[in-house]
Amino acid sequence: MVLLLPLVLPVFVALAVMPFKDGIRATAVALAGGFLEIALLINLARHIHTQGAIAFGYLRADGLTSLFLVGLAFVLLVTLLYSINYLRHVPVYRFSSPRWFYCLLFLFVFAMVAAYLAENLGLLWIMMEATTLASALLVGFYNTEGAVEAGWKYLVVCTVGIAFALFGTIALYLAAVRSGIDSSSALNWTALMSAGSGLGRVSSLVKLSFVFVAVGYGTKVGFVPMHSWLPDAHAEAPSPISAMLSAALLNCAMYALLRYDAISVRAIGPGFSHTMLLIFGGLSLVGASLLMIVQRDLKRLFAYSSVEHMGMVATGIGVGVPLGIYGALLHTLNHSAAKSLLFFAAGNVREHFGTLKLDRITGMARGMRWTSAFLLIGMLAIAGLPPFSLFVSEFAILNAAFSQERHLIVTVVLLALVIGFGALIFQLQGMMSGSSQVSKKPSTTVSEIAAMSLCSCVVITLGMYLPPVLINIIHSAMAVLNP
Amino acid sequence: MGIINIAAGRVISSSAVLIFLTLLLLAASKRVSTCINLFVIQSAIIAAQVFAIGYLHRATEAYIVGSLVVLIKVIAIPYALYSLTRRLRTSRDVKASLSPARSVFIAAALIFVSFSAVQSYAKDLHVARDPLAAAVAIILTGCFLMVSRNKALMQILGLLILENGIFMAALITTFGMPLVIEIGVVFDLVMGVLLMGVFTFRIRDTFDHLDVSKLRKLRG
Amino acid sequence: MPVVKVAQFVLLILSAPLVRGITARLKALLQRRRGASIWRPYADLLKLFRKEDIVPPSASWLFRASPRLGFAFTVAAVAFVPLVFSGGLLSFTGDFIVLVYLLAFARFLLLLGALDGGSSFGGMGASREVMISVLSEAPLLISLTAIAVTAKSASLASIVAWTQMQSFFDMSAIHMLAFAALTLVVIAETGRMPVDNPATHLELTMVHEAMVLEYSGPSLAFIEWAHALKLNLMVALLIALFVPWGIAGGAGAGAVIISAAVYVIKFFVAIAALAVLESSVAKLRMYAVPEFLGIAFALSVLAIVFTVILKR
Repeated sequence: MVLLLPLVLPVFVALAVMPFKDGIRATAVALAGGFLEIALLINLARHIHTQGAIAFGYLRADGLTSLFLVGLAFVLLVTLLYSINYLRHVPVYRFSSPRWFYCLLFLFVFAMVAAYLAENLGLLWIMMEATTLASALLVGFYNTEGAVEAGWKYLVVCTVGIAFALFGTIALYLAAVRSGIDSSSALNWTALMSAGSGLGRVSSLVKLSFVFVAVGYGTKVGFVPMHSWLPDAHAEAPSPISAMLSAALLNCAMYALLRYDAISVRAIGPGFSHTMLLIFGGLSLVGASLLMIVQRDLKRLFAYSSVEHMGMVATGIGVGVPLGIYGALLHTLNHSAAKSLLFFAAGNVREHFGTLKLDRITGMARGMRWTSAFLLIGMLAIAGLPPFSLFVSEFAILNAAFSQERHLIVTVVLLALVIGFGALIFQLQGMMSGSSQVSKKPSTTVSEIAAMSLCSCVVITLGMYLPPVLINIIHSAMAVLNP
Repeated sequence: MGIINIAAGRVISSSAVLIFLTLLLLAASKRVSTCINLFVIQSAIIAAQVFAIGYLHRATEAYIVGSLVVLIKVIAIPYALYSLTRRLRTSRDVKASLSPARSVFIAAALIFVSFSAVQSYAKDLHVARDPLAAAVAIILTGCFLMVSRNKALMQILGLLILENGIFMAALITTFGMPLVIEIGVVFDLVMGVLLMGVFTFRIRDTFDHLDVSKLRKLRG
Repeated sequence: MPVVKVAQFVLLILSAPLVRGITARLKALLQRRRGASIWRPYADLLKLFRKEDIVPPSASWLFRASPRLGFAFTVAAVAFVPLVFSGGLLSFTGDFIVLVYLLAFARFLLLLGALDGGSSFGGMGASREVMISVLSEAPLLISLTAIAVTAKSASLASIVAWTQMQSFFDMSAIHMLAFAALTLVVIAETGRMPVDNPATHLELTMVHEAMVLEYSGPSLAFIEWAHALKLNLMVALLIALFVPWGIAGGAGAGAVIISAAVYVIKFFVAIAALAVLESSVAKLRMYAVPEFLGIAFALSVLAIVFTVILKR
């Protein structure tokens, strides 16, 4: 029951929102359903921590699930808060009214929750593909040239990637069946984990499977060189959706990779899968930070920063030491908070300035006080500066790499961080200073400020103090990955 | 009964050759409707394989999956694609970036590559080499079609062919995955094609053409 | 046995105009016309034999000799083709190469005659024909070689015997590729759609027709007969190489009759397929013909490569 309710509720809300053509009532229904969903997710996480893992049919929730569900709940909360008033800026066409927004949003949430709760790897695949399908229409929400192009690219590239992941899933199924696991449970994650060394006998198949899964789900995570869809999709989508994509969906894809990595480590040792993750992580770090230098659009800049941080998470996992995994898992949460903050601020910037082109955004410090304060916090945080939370997790990852004497990784990470820092601060300085070109008064509403301040609180607080609850959750997640 | 046994065995062994033929013809086609027809033929061959396997191994699940394949990939999706081509009212041309002869060369090279890639795996897995090579060749050709054909419809078709190849690979090696998963995969495919159809309309409405090589507004 | 072989040889030669007649009738029916009678080409040949040869003033002895010599060479090529019996009239190792070159030489003679006629149409048709034949030579020889390598023998008779022993459903990829390549080559060599329209008289589209524009009387009769004979021969060759089941191995009367009946069925299927194909495609523009033959080349190269990697 505890497991099924958070899964089923978003579908109900999606359907319930549809009859309301009036924006206000649709928003009310969505908010009510959304808060209920968040409560259910937190309840599920609490249940896992007091009573251990829960399973039901093809679904299962354990420590790792709880970590990501908490993250999803937070992002959903701030996104709903932000969207209350942001939707008034969206031009209403046949398919871009508030009720469609909330309907698609909750279907998207359903797909992600189902992916997190899936124990059967085939179900995981189905739900990952469902997240692509649910979010494609959200990416193309504005129906402009850029949005349609971004939505098409997103749909095609991610579906191809997920098709490769399907191939990897099938290869793993084949490996499991060949190594003696019963075919009805050969896609079951717990069964595969307990088979462990038995799978080691078909190591070539396991390696093949991981390669395809890394490429496939890696496309959804946004690893370089499969990242081509990411800047377009995250930039052209409406800002609350950009936040959901960057902060929630990338984590969901990373979760899928983590599950497969755990199986691979159990079966053939950490060498192969961690090397692949390090390669992709390194490529993403360097590629994204270099590309950030030449960006001229604010949201594209943030999108490339997401790629960089996902590379950071992959590096953390790839290092393999418990400290590295701890840092990587913490980083997913920190990145979600900071990236949501940034995209919300970007949304406000777009509405005020009418554009996202960096050379036309000037004089924010005087023109938009609230938004510029939050933007400052967000950009300093995402650049990895103390006392913000991303510094803590990045430091943990670097420490782990250093302790393993992997100096190349340390160099690459530091290089990427420095380049990213430079790109961000340079643009920040350009945006803040000078005089504003726009003379109208900024209209930042209470809900938008509330959403952004929640994110800032998380980013600032976690930088200085990690609540024991959170540490427990991360440790239970690590226990799942390394039993 | 014996004849059906023999026929079922033959279907699987001779299907590889027919699939190679469809792949080469796909590379050589210049019209979208020809490509859709070839996709139908390919899906029909794969459905025949599913039924043959179901008969030989007495698995009733296979009949359900086979009927699903026929219903979705041989009837429903091609019909949707045809009505899409009709309603879009664009040119029939495939907008290939390579001439047909070169495309056939590359498709032939991909078939060769798939044979070499499959050599070691086929021995380990104790499966017939030809059908597995055919499956890998379908995957590679699907990717090739997506990359070399500049029309939005052809990218959808390339994706469908890619999924065909993955399905056939699963069929040959593991005789299919659990039924629920297969149904889920097919459902996802249908939804994906539907969504891509919606987007194709939007592309046509916003850009007034269906040439994806001209979608280059977002770069860098 | 020799009686059967001689009989099939003579039958192939005499039935050539009938092949053209049937194809033209089928195409007409597909186009919802009544079409001419299938015996019309015989009437045409008779008519032409009764007329006199008109020779352009600038032509030499080659003009009248080349149709007759070309016909002779094509007839010689027919001697190797199996019809109802698994061997042709003549059969020795490497005879399929000899067959290809006999046909090539016949075509060469036709070209010489066309050039000798002195008209610009002759020259134009000759140059187009040369382009097509140069490009179709390679796929033809490579495909035949691939089949010969697979059958581990180099004479048509033994290739046909080997293929008969294989099962239809175990057809190897090599055979499928070679079949595809040879089909394309046959279309190009015999001047059918989409490479050349056999019924056209527009200078923009003529290839074979352009070469024979100057001819009349018995010379024209021999050229037309040779052209029809080439089509008959190539269709028989395709059937014998790829679907030979039913061909008689011995000389028993029953086996020969069954073989003849089976051949008629296969032949009709092939001709019907040809007619459908011709009615459903448009003629390729001249610069697209090399691509068409390039596809045949790619297929035949792949067939040869497969003979190495398949090791069946």
